[in-house]
Amino acid sequence: MKRAIAFILTGVLFFALAVPMGALAQKKVTFTLWTKEGEVTGGVLEDIVELSKEFAKSRPGLTIEVVSYGVEELRQNFQAAAFAGQGPDLLWTVSDHAGPFVAMKIIKPVDNIFGKDFLKEFVRPGLECVELDGKTWGVPISVGNHLMLLYNKNLLKTPPKNTDEMIKVGKELTRDLNKDGVPDQYGLVYNLNEPFFFAPWLGGFGGWPLDGTKPTLNTPAMVNALQFVHDLKFVHKIVPVECDYDAADALFKEGKAAMLINGDWSLTSYQTPEVRKKVDLGVARIPMVSQTGLWPTPMTSGIYFMLPDYLTGEKLQIAKEFVEFISSDKVQLRFLEKHMRLPATASALKNPKIASDPILKGSADQMVVGKPMPTVPEMRAAWDAIRPNQEAVMAGKMSPKNAAKAMQDACEKLIREMTK
Amino acid sequence: MKKESSRIHSFFRSGKGDSPAKKLLIHLILIMASVIAVYPFLRVVAISLRPGSQLLSTDLSLIPSNATLENYRTLIFEKDFTIWLWNSLVVSLTTVIVGIVLSASAAYAFSRWDFPGRKQGLVFLLTTQMLPPSMLLLPIYVMVVRLQLFNTYTGMILAHSVGAVPFSIWLLKGYYDTIPRELEEAALVDGASRLEAFYKIIIPLSTPALGVCGLFSFMTSWSEFMMARVMLQKADLFTWPLGFQKLLDQFTTQWGVFSAASVLVAVPAMLLFMYSSKWLISGLTLGGVKE
Amino acid sequence: MIPLTWEIASRGLTEAGRILVMLAVGVAVIEALAYLILHKWLKLKNALPFMLMLPAFIAVVALVIYPFLFNLQLAFSNMSMYRFKEFSVGLSYGIQNFLDVFRAPVLQNVTFAQLLLRTVVWTAVNVFFHVLGGLFLAILLNRPLRGKAIYRTLLTIPWAIPQVIAALAWKNEFHYQYGFINVLLQKLGFAPVQWLSDPKWAFVAVIIVNIWLGIPFMMVIILGGLQSISPDYYDAAQIDGASGFQQFRAITMPLLKPVLTPAIILGVVWTFNNFNVIYLITKGGPMEGTDILVTSLYKAVFEFYRYGFGAAYSTVILIILLIFTWIYLKVTKGMGEVADA
Repeated sequence: MKRAIAFILTGVLFFALAVPMGALAQKKVTFTLWTKEGEVTGGVLEDIVELSKEFAKSRPGLTIEVVSYGVEELRQNFQAAAFAGQGPDLLWTVSDHAGPFVAMKIIKPVDNIFGKDFLKEFVRPGLECVELDGKTWGVPISVGNHLMLLYNKNLLKTPPKNTDEMIKVGKELTRDLNKDGVPDQYGLVYNLNEPFFFAPWLGGFGGWPLDGTKPTLNTPAMVNALQFVHDLKFVHKIVPVECDYDAADALFKEGKAAMLINGDWSLTSYQTPEVRKKVDLGVARIPMVSQTGLWPTPMTSGIYFMLPDYLTGEKLQIAKEFVEFISSDKVQLRFLEKHMRLPATASALKNPKIASDPILKGSADQMVVGKPMPTVPEMRAAWDAIRPNQEAVMAGKMSPKNAAKAMQDACEKLIREMTK
Repeated sequence: MKKESSRIHSFFRSGKGDSPAKKLLIHLILIMASVIAVYPFLRVVAISLRPGSQLLSTDLSLIPSNATLENYRTLIFEKDFTIWLWNSLVVSLTTVIVGIVLSASAAYAFSRWDFPGRKQGLVFLLTTQMLPPSMLLLPIYVMVVRLQLFNTYTGMILAHSVGAVPFSIWLLKGYYDTIPRELEEAALVDGASRLEAFYKIIIPLSTPALGVCGLFSFMTSWSEFMMARVMLQKADLFTWPLGFQKLLDQFTTQWGVFSAASVLVAVPAMLLFMYSSKWLISGLTLGGVKE
Repeated sequence: MIPLTWEIASRGLTEAGRILVMLAVGVAVIEALAYLILHKWLKLKNALPFMLMLPAFIAVVALVIYPFLFNLQLAFSNMSMYRFKEFSVGLSYGIQNFLDVFRAPVLQNVTFAQLLLRTVVWTAVNVFFHVLGGLFLAILLNRPLRGKAIYRTLLTIPWAIPQVIAALAWKNEFHYQYGFINVLLQKLGFAPVQWLSDPKWAFVAVIIVNIWLGIPFMMVIILGGLQSISPDYYDAAQIDGASGFQQFRAITMPLLKPVLTPAIILGVVWTFNNFNVIYLITKGGPMEGTDILVTSLYKAVFEFYRYGFGAAYSTVILIILLIFTWIYLKVTKGMGEVADA
């Protein structure tokens, strides 16, 4: 043991003393890109690393350091970095971050950096998500991130046209196969307690969480939408008693759920050979709400480049060129083909591949009725106000009417404190 | 009556007089406790052996019927996992050395001298543990920028070891206190200096406590996330808690690979626990006292 | 993918080596200076203990003092989302921030008093079971027993598993339909429990997880303490005819006290400030039913950007812990014994 320690220490000391560094005098630039992409299915992160290497070849001496963080970690870390005045040179992140970053004055508007013509290349809904105070605060990488109805053709031949039909087939498909009193196949599954998954229904009943920066949560539309999701669980019983994202995912993958509400990010994961054994995937719009005749409106957003406010000189130039590189048709189509992400530029969106692929077509079709997610920082307050009360309704502990009122009160209070 | 008391007596101390029935009972209790301790981990192992990437399954068996090592292969050959593990090992083991060096001698001062400010010092050490960690992010980032500690382990290792130092000092002081002063006094009479007495008598007698301190420092450092995410901004410097962020995603986590990573990350810590348990039972501390 | 090359591996070692060299040099410089100043110049009687303490002390102060002062400054500022980089500092802001902690709900519905009560329950229940469970298992393991080493290894596994992983593993076990706990409950003839959607049960769930996580630590600490107690004491007590329980009270507990007092205080502080378990399993929900002080602090700062308020809030939390420690030490006189041993 002693000898081992001595050996290790000697080795360590040897390395400490033999440091032949700083011999390279060539001018080097390290450009740091923070991305929210992880090493998830499809390897988006690996692709980014590859693309950045490809890009760096054009500039001798340039190294692009791609650093991946979780969405929340990226936001918090960037705030701290901007506060301290030193951090990443470019952000690759979700549109929700634009709101707080703008309020904190830690990112730059991109209008003057890229010029009007460049921004015109992007589809309107993509830009809308990052427009605040008449300026544009990000450059879209891909659009969508919206929920849609996925169904298993092995269990359900055609998707329901409206919610009445959805409840009807849902009841038929919710079955207790092993007769233990608890169903083990469900008509519909989705993340029941998550406000993001509730938003489409809210829109389908004619409501929306914010009007500008004002909360509009205590509305008849909210009451009706809450009543609707409540009834799915307590009256019609076509959803599981407890169902979070992973449970819904597992049930669908095991062929134990006929319909699933999930986002475009999940599409590739239901087409792997393993899952195909049990699931024949179909994609459609979330069914029209029978009571109102409106289509549910999933929130659309996307993934964006944002530029830190401290970015200047050469780094700013590199950032600009890198953004242009990723916005090129070649890269945009690569993301479409490899990762099923809808491109952000109008020219790439016209690609025939989207129309010919039934799944991409379904996804694009759903996006048409989607609504851009509000960018204002007040949205955070709305999410947090909806969540506990939605949970209470889904636990049968609060009436939709009281919940809507509680949401409105909580949201107003949170906004007051946030904007103090 | 006498017999009864000796039975209880032995329950609290030695098992020489244990009847077979009681031994069986103790074994049963320990087996049950062990199952509870291990079961959640075994479930993680089960997920790591399952093909595909889902987290939940209606299948409750610990070894799934279609078990595969595919997730481990992906993790080791397609992810940066080996780098994260190596970096974490370097950081944690260095932290252990730094932590022990700093605390062993300080604890000795607290144990053997009654100097002014001693009590206050001990309480101060405790208060350092009371700062709510989430408040540290902003100031630490500012410190890191000012001292230019980005992408080095220096700041992290110092921070980790200092995080563990207060606990180590308290623990070691408690142990030193149980070592009779006569041992050192005898050495002093023989002409040893105070420091020699410390290194030659106290340190060897404190191996079990030093072991626990080392373990503790290791665990503090091994899964530390906040400092790491502030200081390390290069992919090849990532420690595993940072690397795991890449595997976790709000919606599209590959649970199979993530679980495989979890299993492998728990292994070094477990090995360390197994190894250090030898020190814990050695009972060296009071070996010299009996005479 | 980045392969683990020799270059990367050696870079880590190089830096580790550099740190150890730095440490050695740093300690040597500090000690030399301290020797000259304390011993030669001031001729202090206690120069040696101060010298022994100094490196650790300097390191701790250097790390803690700046964040502490920074936090204090923020507590007296109006820093928020709209005043992020250009906030101002003033006494009136501070008073406002501290009043806000007590005046209005900290989050949506829960007030400071409710959160404090819940945190106290959370801490007390957890630490109580940590010590009880740890003591019980340590006593069993302190006996000559076949397979002791195996038990000990298995029982420390919850400590060896990083908290992130343990929390995620447990979260699944509380799942209504898939979780092992409900499956077991149903097999035993009970109704399944909605662990994660009912606030009361969710609180029970996070407590169970944290108890599971914390027992091994106490067990190891207590086992270490038990093994340092000389058998002579028990032999003597036995000759005097003391019963087992009397021995436990008269010998085991008092002799464990020097180890237990700091362990309990630290256990309380860590549990009080434990953020991981609750955040990873319930995020404080449902209906804010499992939020404790530190999780609500995190939300106030990172979700609502209330930096000034958060700094004041964290100062209040710190003060509560200080008061607790002070009372605990007074009541148990633990400090006296620990310090005067």
